[in-house]
Amino acid sequence: MSNSPIIAENLVRHFGDVHAVKGINLEVKAGEVFGFLGPNGAGKSTAVRMLTTLLRPTSGTARVAGFDVVKQADQVRRSIGVALQDAAIDPLMTGAELLALQAVLYGIPASVLKKRSDELLERVGLTAAASRRVSTYSGGMRRRLDLALSLIHQPTVLFLDEPTTGLDPMSRLTLWEEVRRLNREGTTVMLTTQYLEEADQLADRIAIIDHGKIVREGKPADLKASVGAPTLIIKTNIDQTEKAKSVLSTFGDLRPGAEGALGVGLIGGAALVTEVVRKLDEAGVHVAHLEINEPSLDDVFAEATGYRLEGADNAPSAGDNGDNGDEKPKKKSRRGRK
Amino acid sequence: MPETQVVRSLSTAIRQTIALARRSTLELFRQPALVVPSLIFPLFFSFLGNSSFGKTTSLPGFPQVSSYLQFQLAGTITQGVLFGSVTGAAALATDIENGFFDRLLASPTSRTSILFGRLAGSTLFGALETAVFILVLLPFGADVAAGVPGIIAMTISGALIALAVGALMASVALKTGSSEAVQGTFPLLFILLFFSSAFFPRETMSGIYRTIAGLNPISHLVEGLRALSLEGFTASATARAILVPLAIAIFALLVAQTQLRARLRAN
Repeated sequence: MSNSPIIAENLVRHFGDVHAVKGINLEVKAGEVFGFLGPNGAGKSTAVRMLTTLLRPTSGTARVAGFDVVKQADQVRRSIGVALQDAAIDPLMTGAELLALQAVLYGIPASVLKKRSDELLERVGLTAAASRRVSTYSGGMRRRLDLALSLIHQPTVLFLDEPTTGLDPMSRLTLWEEVRRLNREGTTVMLTTQYLEEADQLADRIAIIDHGKIVREGKPADLKASVGAPTLIIKTNIDQTEKAKSVLSTFGDLRPGAEGALGVGLIGGAALVTEVVRKLDEAGVHVAHLEINEPSLDDVFAEATGYRLEGADNAPSAGDNGDNGDEKPKKKSRRGRK
Repeated sequence: MPETQVVRSLSTAIRQTIALARRSTLELFRQPALVVPSLIFPLFFSFLGNSSFGKTTSLPGFPQVSSYLQFQLAGTITQGVLFGSVTGAAALATDIENGFFDRLLASPTSRTSILFGRLAGSTLFGALETAVFILVLLPFGADVAAGVPGIIAMTISGALIALAVGALMASVALKTGSSEAVQGTFPLLFILLFFSSAFFPRETMSGIYRTIAGLNPISHLVEGLRALSLEGFTASATARAILVPLAIAIFALLVAQTQLRARLRAN
């Protein structure tokens, strides 16, 4: 049996008629940062909740830190750190009080609590705010405290559920840096995110999840390379869309574009842009906007799912914690691959 | 499981319960808007009742009392403790709603400690409320015939009532996961209180009202406390004051534990 810290085999979770996770298989190796990328409602939080023992799988198995998530749930809990997106931090307590509470819950002796608590507060930059109530913290401070709470027992596996959702760019960068630092120190990190850049920047490997299924998995560079050609994006009048598609399809596979745009994978590379513009002009298509993009994770996502994640309206859908494998969220940019 | 492991698990669970009880107590006292009404309104009703019903003490069937306040003291304590317990259970429901409950479930915290930690906070608050009501009303004529030992027994009884009602309300919180549902029980408690012997002795009641008051568990909680207040520190009075809420608390804890298991199973 593999000794990887996170292994899931055919993991399934239903909520009544809703099939939130439809049989995912994954293996996260020791020392990796593994990114779980998908929009709200894709099933990523449900999968993480199963891996962190908060939900029982309907079927399938998972082992975390060497323990079965159902049969050895208590051992799993002792071995992992968890920072859940939707798990509030008590606003009436101070940062130091919450760390002390967390330490007792994890059975950390009082003799080491002060030292460890001070180290963690310093690490996340909250030493000065330690004795303030959490209600006075900013969103970024709360996330950093959440991270410190999840590290109090020095876990070897850390689950971060959308750690930077709603944070300003500076707080996001600070948190990324801390995740990298933890990973350098040997912690295996599994993070869920709906941000392409976050997955690209942080993850050694990513899995793209959509409709409760993993649709792509690999290193970001390999996934991007698999898309191949750069994407030419154009915007035109709605009444010329079909004519434009017809022209673009002669240069490569059509790809979904965000917000009413059209995309094509230029098999011949960027050198063909002039030719495309000439052909569109000859067909009488007025091009309002044109750009060429090297393959990105958004292209990988679009190629795998038929719609783009970037610029998508990530409004939570019905189901567990916004996850509902059968209810795809409304995407302004969603369009089927033709 | 080896004996040493059992002892270690029990010791960990106790530490966790104390830590969570500390949190629930701190949380309560950091919200004066929740604490103050639980203390003020029962006292207000008590003084109001004394002015309005002061002369009813001469009615046939009314026990021998030095003042209506002496009779009313047990009702005031029960009223305050009931409302305080709703607050504690609503806080548990809020923990479920905002995900703090999940934070606890994701840690190796004993599941029983999560429930008992929350109830311990309510129980302590119940004891405190009882002591405050006695100390405030004592100078106005709410004599406690059982003296200091009786005051101590009444405080224990108040704590047990808080535990019993807190556990029942916690069951609602665990069943529904909704603080609104818990708060929604407030009018029900109010009705139960008025259909009990909290404000008048059962002996002065008649018809269906008397039957309901006899069946109403709140009457039995109030009358246990009242026995200490009126009869003195007798074995019978102390037993009624302690054993009735203790029996209800044990039953309520079993219900709450069942609801907790059901919630955990549903995940």
